[in-house]
Amino acid sequence: MSAPLGTLRHAAAAFPDLLRVSWADMVAYRAEIVIWFLTGTLPIIMMLVWDRVAEAGDIGRFDQPAFAAYFTATLACRQLTGSWVVWEINQLIRTGSLSPALLKPLNPLLFLSAESLAEKPLRAAILVPLVALLFLWRPDMPLPLSPVQLSLAVVAIGLGWLLNVAIQVCFGCLAFRLEQTMGLYMVWFGLWALLSGYLFPLELMPPVARAVVQVLPFRATLGIPVEVLTGALSGWDAVGGLGLQVAWVLAVGLLARLLWRRGVRRYEAYGA
Amino acid sequence: MIRVAGLTKHYRTPKKAPGLLGSIKSLVRREYETVKAVEDVSFTIAPGERVGFLGPNGAGKTTTLKMLSGLLVPTAGEVEVLGHRPSDRLPGYLSRITLVMGQKQQLLWDLPARETFELNRALFGVARDEARRTVDELTELLELKALLDRPVRNLSLGERMKCELVAALLHRPEVLFLDEPTIGLDVRMQVVVRRFVEEWNRRTGATILLTSHYMADIAALCPRVIVISAGRLRFDGPLQDLVRRHGTDRRVVVAPVREPTPEELALADRFQRTDDGKLVATVPAADVKAAVDQALRALPIQDLAVEEPPLEDVIARLFAEQEPAA
Repeated sequence: MSAPLGTLRHAAAAFPDLLRVSWADMVAYRAEIVIWFLTGTLPIIMMLVWDRVAEAGDIGRFDQPAFAAYFTATLACRQLTGSWVVWEINQLIRTGSLSPALLKPLNPLLFLSAESLAEKPLRAAILVPLVALLFLWRPDMPLPLSPVQLSLAVVAIGLGWLLNVAIQVCFGCLAFRLEQTMGLYMVWFGLWALLSGYLFPLELMPPVARAVVQVLPFRATLGIPVEVLTGALSGWDAVGGLGLQVAWVLAVGLLARLLWRRGVRRYEAYGA
Repeated sequence: MIRVAGLTKHYRTPKKAPGLLGSIKSLVRREYETVKAVEDVSFTIAPGERVGFLGPNGAGKTTTLKMLSGLLVPTAGEVEVLGHRPSDRLPGYLSRITLVMGQKQQLLWDLPARETFELNRALFGVARDEARRTVDELTELLELKALLDRPVRNLSLGERMKCELVAALLHRPEVLFLDEPTIGLDVRMQVVVRRFVEEWNRRTGATILLTSHYMADIAALCPRVIVISAGRLRFDGPLQDLVRRHGTDRRVVVAPVREPTPEELALADRFQRTDDGKLVATVPAADVKAAVDQALRALPIQDLAVEEPPLEDVIARLFAEQEPAA
């Protein structure tokens, strides 16, 4: 079939332009992005809390510099893997703006992804001085990074972002049927904060709980990129972590595709 | 070009009794009710035609346009536009049509309109040169060159509508579905949009389907009208035929040279005073002579005219006649 191939080629050709327009859009909302950035700075507070706790002695393998490294990595990974498309999808469906979007020859999700990606350079730019400050505060923070490890971390961050987008598309698609989708998403977010490594390193959990949480999608969105970036996962273990991420991206991605298609079909049937 | 046969759209919507008890009941067992939005509508439209859809609110006009553009899947019947089944929404179809909704805008709110054009250019895969030529042509026709670099949020409603039109026509579609394109606009801006649509049709030969609440839009733009009421097709043909068939009344309008006395008014009993001081008699065509005679006899006339009734009245009557059938 040449049609899907043509669509794919068209999508690839359009993506840089989508990114450029999204970038312009993002610049128009830059103040808002800075505020959103601040909502993602909880790891700094957690860093201070755990730093204090570790004053009395190491916890597991974590001393004070190790905690600082962990939460610096968490801050960076959260900013770079985060996505907010669930809000956008919810908005599109509930206001009916999905109608004009569906009459474009490219899937609206592609544009939403471009929007999410276009924010990343700005977020990275804010991160640089912040991370530098944290290093000044704790110069003994262990810096694990070999080029190989760093490349793996970049891939893990990319996969974490993709998984976040896929998960949020799934929640966003609930708006085709339900009115309280954002409430449901907040429940997910609460669980995510506890089980992703956002508030504390997952390796501090009791062994049984840890064994379960290890394979759940929460860790695949944030915990794995952080572990790769701090060197807690390296070599084949890191590759295994990436493999787990790929598996989750595929599984949730397929679910997202199914929910999106069903939702659009429902939208076509019940009034757009 | 456009072929519609037996087009039908029914919605199933949950029926809920009011109050808490009703909510609980509907949780346990939902009852549904079927809304017949469009019922067995058929017509064909040739390339380059300009067709107006008329009907009261909730008549099924927008539902029909949405089925034609591919946003809604029909419950029954067939639709074919440009050789495609619209609801497949294949890129090859979408890049040849456009839907403009007066009530929903697609412009990026905080950016200049130019950025939306650029976005649409990318989405539709239009080459840069070609897009630039089209934007130049459209902005010249709509006289909005100076506005393209201002954030959309700073534009007036009318200016935004002009930009919407540019964004919607950037890929030079062959079929334009316009759903209430002049809604909320002031009279002057309505005329601008109307003239533009006509000129664009003349230049490009695009087929145009338009719904509007403003009869003036339809009268100025559409040689052919399709009247839909309660989901059914009531009339399909030239506008004059519709007026002739349902607008047999005439208005005899008298501008008096001075204020008529109560005696004069009593003699001219067919006439009623309007707010602007004129005297108007609405009578069947056969009684025009009698009404004119009465005016000449009884009233201090400065000017007298016999007019066809406004299109609004004709349509209102047409819908009123058909209400019981629904």
